[in-house]
Parts: sequence; C-alpha cells; structure tokens
Amino acid sequence: MTMEERVAAYKEDFDLFPTANDKLEYIFDLGKKHTTLPAEEKNDETFVEGCASAAWLVGECRDGKLILRGEGTSEMAKGMLTLLLDIFNNRTPYEILNFDPAKLHEMGIIELLSPVRQQSLEAFLNMVYAYARKCKEAM
Amino acid sequence: MKTVLEIENVHAKIGEKEILKGLNLKLEPGKVHAIMGPNGAGKSTLSKTIVGHYDVTLTGGDIRYKGKSINDMEPEERALEGIFLSFQHPVEIPGVNNAYFLRTALNAKRRHEGKEELNAAEFLRLMKSHLEMLGMKSDMISRSLNEGFSGGEKKRNEILQMLILEPEVIILDEIDSGLDIDALRAVSEGINKMKDGKRSFLVITHYSRILDYIEPDYIHVLKDGRIIKTAGPELVEQLEDKGYESIEEDSAS
Repeated sequence: MTMEERVAAYKEDFDLFPTANDKLEYIFDLGKKHTTLPAEEKNDETFVEGCASAAWLVGECRDGKLILRGEGTSEMAKGMLTLLLDIFNNRTPYEILNFDPAKLHEMGIIELLSPVRQQSLEAFLNMVYAYARKCKEAM
Repeated sequence: MKTVLEIENVHAKIGEKEILKGLNLKLEPGKVHAIMGPNGAGKSTLSKTIVGHYDVTLTGGDIRYKGKSINDMEPEERALEGIFLSFQHPVEIPGVNNAYFLRTALNAKRRHEGKEELNAAEFLRLMKSHLEMLGMKSDMISRSLNEGFSGGEKKRNEILQMLILEPEVIILDEIDSGLDIDALRAVSEGINKMKDGKRSFLVITHYSRILDYIEPDYIHVLKDGRIIKTAGPELVEQLEDKGYESIEEDSAS
C-alpha cells in the first residue's frame, strides 16, 4: 500500500464513525497497539520538541528505507503515533519527501485535534521529514 | 443420536411455583427444534433455565451442554461457551450505546476463544453489513441499547446480536411476537443465515407463521412443565387445526 492508499484506508475507517467523539475514541483504540522504546533511546535527540505530551521518535536509515519507531505518553499521543507510523514507517525517503502532509487532512480527524495537538503533529512531521532528508543524503 | 444440549428430568421453579416438572429434551446439532405450547406451559421458563436466568431456581435434573453439566455455571459463562438467548422482552438500557455494548460482548467472547479482539472500525464494518441485511437503520449503531426501539426494532436487534456473537445453541423466545411481515421476513432471513449444519436452534413460538420461514426439523409440545410430544413438522398442521387439547402424550415422555 502506498502512503496515499494507507491514508485513504484510514479515511474509510474514520468515515464509519458517526460522531467526532467516536472518531477520537478510535484513535485511542489504535493506541492499544502502541509500541515503546527502550529507556536509552528516549533522549534529547529523539524527543519530539513541541509535542503536547512527552513523545520520542527514533529514525534509522536501513537498506534504503526509513525505519521509524516511537513512544508517546498520553492516550492521544499513543494513538496518533500508531496511526502515523503505520503511514510513514518503512518507506524510502523519496516516498516520504514526495508525500504532501496536507493529505493527512483527508482522514477527517486532524481538524478534530486541539490546536496544541495540531502543533504536536506538526512537530512530529518536521522530525519525520528531517530524518527522511538525512536518510536521502546518506544514500 | 448426537446431542449438543441435553435436558434431563429438569424441575425448576420461579419463586415458590414449580413450573418445569420433569422436562426432557435433546437438541441435535444442526437442527431446528420448535417448542409450542399453550400459555403458562413453561416455555419461557425453559429458555431461562437453560441460560441460567436469576428468576429461575433449578430444583432437580441436569442440563448438559456438549456432554458437561452446566447446572452450576453462571449465565455469562454459558454465553461465552456459545449458548444464546434472544429475549421475549428485550431490556432497554439507556446510556449504553448499542455498538459499544455489542463490541464489548463480542470481544469478551473472542478473548474467551483465544482470538484477537476487533477494533472499533473492524467491528463497525461487521455490524453495518448485518444491519443492511436485517433492514435496520444505521442510527442503530449510536442509539442506546433498545431505548425507544419499536417492537420490531428490538427483535431485529436481538437477531443482530445473534449474528455478531455466532453462538452454537440459539434459543429464540417468541422472536416472532409483535412482528409485521417485513420484520418477520428479515428476522427469519437472519436466522436462516446462521444455519450451518452445526448450530442448533430452539425456537419458542405460539404461531406457525415463523415456522413457514425457518422450517423446523422437530416440533415439541410443551404442556404443564413437560414435553408431552415430539414429532416432525407435520405436527404443526394438527395443532393449527385442532389445538393443544388434541395432542396425546407420547408414552416415552
């Protein structure tokens, strides 16, 4: 599945829910599959600066692909991280750099996030794109 | 003869009144058993006894499911093992979202079976496919469980629960009461969809109308707390023509 297709699949999922609350609850639900990072990987370098609740993101370039792993501390961060990593993880830097993050709005949930959480998303995306650029340069 | 559920010489009372008086019944896997009988014969008590309803005190006899006695099992354990009852009068529970209720029930069963739980989106897909088949409106997803549902909607909702939980022994207590023709057809279609040659059905009814749609394999006549006759579907006609008084007790009962 391409990144666009993955976003479309999430849009289909979120469209199933009649209310904003149900959609947000589904994000929490996704967070149940949330992974964690070992303590030594949670440092200043991996800390997502500007995130509403503490979150860390590790990006490694492996075999031409960007491998992303993260951990969030709030229910919302866990859910959003799980969703976003499902879209962005294990992609080539080209795929990520060619992907317009505005497309994430098609899922119909970004506007449901509070302004602070939208900033958190922005901070996450900045970090992902920075990792992707670094990965591309290394190739 | 293979049996999935065996009721042997069961005596049961509600309050101080003995209702079931030495009832014997065997359900075969993959078969539809219809229970007919006059008012007050003990039909609803039988269904409540099988699922372990708190109204009923079992005072004698044994109920075996897949060869094991379930007399001491809690209702929820019986449900997890695959016994399902559609209530004659489904309870309204304001404040409990229908989809949420059903998903919780399904996931409890899946956990019990060692299966992975369905997330909300996976569940809603499943629920929507069944809603369509049953001719139910999509607002059933977000409404409170049975609250303000019409009689037909409540019964369709019971069938929806059955379709989602996929039980092995399905007891339908007057699923046809208060249904118009369209609802009866939708409900019957739901029931027929569950027939897979393994599941067993115990259909409690007053009327032969639903039996035209779901074609029972056996008719049992329940009278005064006991099954007094078991026969094939041809018995329905006799009952329609001549009433319960015409039924002579089987010597074996």
